[in-house]
Amino acid sequence: MRRRTLLLAVAAVAAIAAATTAWTQPVKPPVKVALVAAMSGGSALSGEAIKRGLTVAIDEINARGGVLGGRKIELVVRDEEGNPSKGVAAARDVIEREGAVTVFGGLHSPVGLAMLPVFHELKVPYVGTWAAATGITRNGRRPNFMFRVSANDDIVDHFLARYVVERLGRKRPGVILENTPWGASNQEGLTKWFGKLGAQPVGFEKFNWNDSDMSAQLLRLKSGGADALVMIANAPEGAQVVRSKAKIGWDAPVVSHWGISGGRFAELTGELAESVVFVQTYSFFGKQSEVGERVIAALKAKYGLKGPEDILAPVGTANAYDAMHLVALAIEQAGAADGVRIQQALENLNVEYRGLIKTYRRPFTPDEHDALNENDYILVTWKQGKIVPVAMK
Amino acid sequence: MLAQLLFSGLALGSMYALVALGYHITYATSRTVNFSQGQSVMVGAVVAYVLHVTLGWPLAAAVVATLAALAGLGLLVERVAVRPFLRSSSIAWLLSTIALGIIAENVAMLAFGKDARAFPSPLTRRPWTVLGAGVYPHELLLPLAGLAIAGTVEVAFRRTLAGKALRAVAHSHDAAGLMGIDVGRTITAAYVLSSLLAGIAGVLLAPLLNVSATMGTTIGLKGFAVAIIGGIDSARGIVVAGWLYGVLESVVAGYLGTGVREIVGFAVVILVLLVRPAGVFGGRALGRV
Repeated sequence: MRRRTLLLAVAAVAAIAAATTAWTQPVKPPVKVALVAAMSGGSALSGEAIKRGLTVAIDEINARGGVLGGRKIELVVRDEEGNPSKGVAAARDVIEREGAVTVFGGLHSPVGLAMLPVFHELKVPYVGTWAAATGITRNGRRPNFMFRVSANDDIVDHFLARYVVERLGRKRPGVILENTPWGASNQEGLTKWFGKLGAQPVGFEKFNWNDSDMSAQLLRLKSGGADALVMIANAPEGAQVVRSKAKIGWDAPVVSHWGISGGRFAELTGELAESVVFVQTYSFFGKQSEVGERVIAALKAKYGLKGPEDILAPVGTANAYDAMHLVALAIEQAGAADGVRIQQALENLNVEYRGLIKTYRRPFTPDEHDALNENDYILVTWKQGKIVPVAMK
Repeated sequence: MLAQLLFSGLALGSMYALVALGYHITYATSRTVNFSQGQSVMVGAVVAYVLHVTLGWPLAAAVVATLAALAGLGLLVERVAVRPFLRSSSIAWLLSTIALGIIAENVAMLAFGKDARAFPSPLTRRPWTVLGAGVYPHELLLPLAGLAIAGTVEVAFRRTLAGKALRAVAHSHDAAGLMGIDVGRTITAAYVLSSLLAGIAGVLLAPLLNVSATMGTTIGLKGFAVAIIGGIDSARGIVVAGWLYGVLESVVAGYLGTGVREIVGFAVVILVLLVRPAGVFGGRALGRV
């Protein structure tokens, strides 16, 4: 009796399945890609920015008819809450249950590093859009499933150190950084590159998240004879550094990593913002390329932004936009929604992509999994609330 | 350098003291504290920001409305997170007030957003130079505000009938009840007062701390440390302990480095707990009321 019911049920399901397949055949299944990033907590802004960049690119791709002969791209988003083990679970979930064929990563380097074995086990490419830890892409694996369209701390530190030593001609920089693994990774990079450039850092001072007064740390650097300040901070603490610096009447130039662009640094610091130069991969201010105009228009229409000053965490949006287009091209070239073939296609992309940040010609090779490098970084500063490039010799 | 560290420490310590005074008021009446006092400060700052900056109200109107809103919040905290647990004499209020704080923080993230915003103040635009040290005029305001509030609280507790009722309730709920004091209402009043203080602190700290959903966490914790050090029973003790703690943090950070700041700071808390459990300035027996 029981078996008969079961058989009947199976038959019914089969019949329904057959009927629905027949019905839905003209609609091809979507190709799923996933974003595993911090969507809540203190870094939520970065996750939202990345999601927006991906979404704008996906809308463009789908409007052109999708990939693989008419399949739409669909985005699955998971929140890793800045927690590596949640990231690992989310990566498995989006690949095994949702069937994502590429996973984009968010701001937190520890999460990217923790997920690395999952992508190699399940053979699905990861494309980082923010987290800059060197070891994410340079991991010694072959084939390597970890790609990145973002900065790399080591390269950024070289970039910052060169600016301080060669452009500003300062040999005794002071460094202030946050008391986190991100701060530590930059302490390592800056120590190395300042050393190679013949400069001697006066000191590395640290602060904790939500600290409100940095004058003690800055006084130590100032009285140690620092002639420039390198800052590794996010927007709220970065603003406190700059305000405390003005308070103690120290006028050394400030050169900053891009963390301060993840919030409203210019609003928090007012005219003091103009004393800081910082690194970016892209600026939505000033004269835009055709692609830039298009992306800004799409962001305005979709998210009700008034202008580029409302594009918070702009690097996330810009990196994610280009990353999504590169992945779509790779899926097309792979000819299948399959992780291994997409990995190979990414390493050997044979079409040129005119993107937002630059024109990509073979962005990745088996040996180089960072699409952006020192030549693609720009130094910018604020002028009357707008981000403007700083001339680089 | 020392002058600079002293000024910075004094401003910082005054912030802690302003928060700590909120713990004092409820502890003095009900022997409970609102562990989300830091988050209440955040709510004060956020409400003031939305009214003054987003909606463009004049500062005075925004402050009055903020204080009214915070009085309501105090009522809510007492009704929801404290009163149900007072009778059973359990310490469940400890967890329930923390829970309320976490809820407040997440509601603020949803409603206000996650990024820090600047609260404009004409007193934080240019630093002044005092004794060779830079100081924002707004920072000088904080120690004065702390003194004024502590003074008002002490006088009100000692001299007014309502204050005496508050202290009587602190002494013994039963005895106060027998004397015709409405114990429940008195405790409610203490929570409203404490929440009002959080509102004042929120408005005062906003220009220095920036306004964000997470701004209350650190000052809430440090404020509690200061309340313990100063003696949670003594308003003036709390203000002085706040200053000392802020200066200690600043001087340690300046001469020994930031890494040891929290170690030294919280070691002092433990030391005080060991040597003077009632706090440096606390422990005087309650007089007759």
